[in-house]
Amino acid sequence: VTANGTTPALCSHCLLPIRGPGHERQVQGEDHGFCCYGCCLAFQVARGEGEESEAAWLLIRLGTGAFLSMNIMLFSLLLYSGTFESSDGDVRPVVHLLLWVLATPCMLILGGPLFQETWYAAVQRRLTSATLISLGAGTAYAYSTLAVVTGASEVYFDTATMLLVLYTIGRYLEAAGRARAMRSLAPMLAIDRELVTVLDGGAEARRPVREVTAGTLVLVRPGERLGVDGIVVEGFSHVDEAVITGESQLVAKTPGAEALAGSINHEGALVIRSTGAGTATRWAGIARSVREALAQPSHAQRLADRIAGALVPAVLVLAGLTVLIWAQWAPLEQALLTGLAVLVVACPCGLGLAGALATSLGIGRLARRRCLVRGGQILEALAGVRVVAFDKTGTLTVGATCVTAIETDGTPADEVLRLAAGLERSSEHPLAHAIVAAAAARGLRPALTAQARAVPGCGIQGRVEGRRVAAGSGAWLAELGWPVPVDLARSAGGLEAPGAGLIHIGWAGRVRGVLALGEALRPEAPAAVAALRRLGLQTVLLTGDRAAAAARIAAGLGLDGCEADLSPEGKRAALRRWRERRGGVAMVGDGLNDGPVLAAADVGIAVGSATDLARETAGIVLPEGGLLLLPWVIGLSWAVRRTILTNLLWAFGYNSIGLALAVSGHLQPVMAAVLMAGSSLLVVLNSLRLERFAAPSDHPRPEDAPAAEPRVLDQAARPRAPAPRPATSPSDRLAPRGSAANHTPETTSSSADQMFHHRPPAGSSRRTRPCGQSQSPPG
Amino acid sequence: VIEYPLIFFAGLAGSWHCVGMCGGFACALGSDPRGRGATLVRQLSYNLGRVTTYCFIGGLVGFLAAGLCASGVGAPPTSAAQRVLAISSGLLMICIGLQFLGWFRRWHGPLLQGFGAQFLAPALRDLLHMPGPTAPLAFGVLNGFLPCPLVYAFAAQAAGSGGALPGLLVMLAFGLGTFPAMLLMAGLGGWLRRVGGAWRWRRRGVDLAGAVIVVLGLITFARGVVPIGAHLHLL
Repeated sequence: VTANGTTPALCSHCLLPIRGPGHERQVQGEDHGFCCYGCCLAFQVARGEGEESEAAWLLIRLGTGAFLSMNIMLFSLLLYSGTFESSDGDVRPVVHLLLWVLATPCMLILGGPLFQETWYAAVQRRLTSATLISLGAGTAYAYSTLAVVTGASEVYFDTATMLLVLYTIGRYLEAAGRARAMRSLAPMLAIDRELVTVLDGGAEARRPVREVTAGTLVLVRPGERLGVDGIVVEGFSHVDEAVITGESQLVAKTPGAEALAGSINHEGALVIRSTGAGTATRWAGIARSVREALAQPSHAQRLADRIAGALVPAVLVLAGLTVLIWAQWAPLEQALLTGLAVLVVACPCGLGLAGALATSLGIGRLARRRCLVRGGQILEALAGVRVVAFDKTGTLTVGATCVTAIETDGTPADEVLRLAAGLERSSEHPLAHAIVAAAAARGLRPALTAQARAVPGCGIQGRVEGRRVAAGSGAWLAELGWPVPVDLARSAGGLEAPGAGLIHIGWAGRVRGVLALGEALRPEAPAAVAALRRLGLQTVLLTGDRAAAAARIAAGLGLDGCEADLSPEGKRAALRRWRERRGGVAMVGDGLNDGPVLAAADVGIAVGSATDLARETAGIVLPEGGLLLLPWVIGLSWAVRRTILTNLLWAFGYNSIGLALAVSGHLQPVMAAVLMAGSSLLVVLNSLRLERFAAPSDHPRPEDAPAAEPRVLDQAARPRAPAPRPATSPSDRLAPRGSAANHTPETTSSSADQMFHHRPPAGSSRRTRPCGQSQSPPG
Repeated sequence: VIEYPLIFFAGLAGSWHCVGMCGGFACALGSDPRGRGATLVRQLSYNLGRVTTYCFIGGLVGFLAAGLCASGVGAPPTSAAQRVLAISSGLLMICIGLQFLGWFRRWHGPLLQGFGAQFLAPALRDLLHMPGPTAPLAFGVLNGFLPCPLVYAFAAQAAGSGGALPGLLVMLAFGLGTFPAMLLMAGLGGWLRRVGGAWRWRRRGVDLAGAVIVVLGLITFARGVVPIGAHLHLL
């Protein structure tokens, strides 16, 4: 698939983006683009089917070339070890002639494609690594042929042919390794080549996905991938939608069910009526975004490309100089051999691969977890991030108000809530809804209420089960002449300080309970923040909300900083300040209304909205509820950066050592070729190690909760939450729980207690729970 | 030098091991429609390719090992490096031989997994059906590089043999030893594989090859250990 303006071209074999002109070939009647010679070879081998395929011909060439060059090498080895010297001296010219006879077809078979490539590049005024190799092999062959004619004592046919064999094999293996690395991305990237079985009036036809329109009937056999979004019209099966929705369980599909492109059909055949164009599916969208990401090189990669581009002419000059200098005092053939070794060992094959493969692997790993990254430079920037700033609403909190704590004078908390809910049921106030919801969440039936009357700005009162009950602000209840008991005033004082909305409830002339209302945390937020802090990152809350509410959230999560009452411009200024103070800043938001702020950060991270808008302003889009993936994403970006660095270090270090040996004449050209082939293979293998980077665990660790005690998690709402680790494990004994959260319990205990503790202090009737966590067992 | 016939014999016996994979290839190469002569050319070119690869490996390994050992000009071939090489290649051969005899089963996997094999193997299948003598030749050459413990064992012996020519000869003897079984397989492979007793014969052949490899390994090992007093020239 070649560039057509909108989608960047990816190599048909290894799926890495093609930089520069690349190669274009027709394979089995289809146009394909390749990033390098090796991929062109390997693709034809892998795709070749049938007897007369290009693959088979290619292998025949390779095999025959190897046969010839191995024979040449064997005879040369015997020449070197002096086997022919013991007999009379006339044998050597005969052996040389034999070598020429073997080498000439070998040069044509293996060198042909290489010379062709060099020629094409030269026509376009480019020098590539193929230029270096063809020049080297060509020179060695030409010189040796001359030596055969003139009867000189040494020939270098083995060098010429082995160079070609090793270069070809090295490139082939490298391409195979790259294809293996990118294999997991293939289902996402190969969407252009994906075929679906279209039912057209009883006839079946295989058509490309891009030709499917709305209303087309598509047959999906067991084991196949669904190519289109649509409605099941026939059949029954289970499908695996993990790639699209992240759902790890198989989903049953019966007629009438919605089916998603990209999911994999399991046991039964399904007929699906497409609901849209084949290119408009969510899967195609993800695939497009991954493709675009792959085509965005990181700065390191751009730099490496530029160096590699400049290196080829530099190597040519260096090799020429080496020959000239050596020719001053050594025989010409030794000077030529030294120059040849320089040419071969300095070939910057591994350099072009150093960044691209690691970055692509990283992007692929992320995409499989539905984390979309806009490009290599974003991944690179993420690795440099020191501060993670969060937006509040929708990111750290669920965005709805709910009851976060209940204090009473000794009356059971449920009783207070039941009466309050009965009263508030007749109110339209947002806080009232939260109270009714909290009661419902506990399974309480609101008390029967009559004559409810709201007093705007103050509260509501009415007759509940025959009693006069009032709920509202503390000031209003004081106005009514209802005092707050001393105990309750003391315990409610803790609630008041962080600025939560407080509702006082009283009956029979006295305040009986105080409800604290506030925003509830997203269930994954505490674990995510704790994990980020463990990575050594600063965490900051930047919000437009009131300072008190923000402080409560920040303290509850153990964030390092909190800035409230910020306008969008203020948030951008805050980001600038943090960047000056600490370094790279990532901004995490929901991507809906904080677009400009995300764009202002070094890395904008949108959680839970795969909207196009978010994707334009955010560099990284995490899936719904994906905050917990953020530490893993950052860890992966570090691993990618480390891999690129080691690759570059290797490519440069290895090449410069090889170069030094070659220039000083200590490296045989054949050994140089072995080193060259080994170098790029090692870069591939080093990058492949990213495949083994640990996958994120879906379970937050119990000690991730920042409070001094583990949260009691609602098992019904969080079915995948693990049981807390036994406290007897050595790590627990060594590191007290919550120590990771790096703040003293004294400073935050009151707010943390409100948010997370279900266990009332002895002698108190205090009962709190985070909302959204229905049916929690009392602690 | 008694070693070469012994190696030939090990190849002969060991090739029963190869019957599983390489023998299958030989069968699949099939016969040429142009008659018996053409079929023979086809089979011979396959075997020629295979043995060339073996010889190349042997010659190269022998040359490199000798180069490694003869660090000083005029150093005797029984230098310390030569001894270390002989001991390690002898030990390697003994291990592989014992593995043939059913020891070290756990090592079987990693020894057989090559990096290139998994990419090459599917594509190689197409080559089997191509007409002309170059396809079987190319197939044989590539087949020779497929990972095989027998080849490893004799490559180790070649490394300890002390030169390009002896290394080449070791592998040549081994390769020629595998000729008969391969040619036989091509001719009556289908029949042989159907016969019930063939499996037992195959097992015996593998055991025999393992024993020979162990003996050869001991000889190589002994060359590294025994003082230069050269009684071993008798072997």
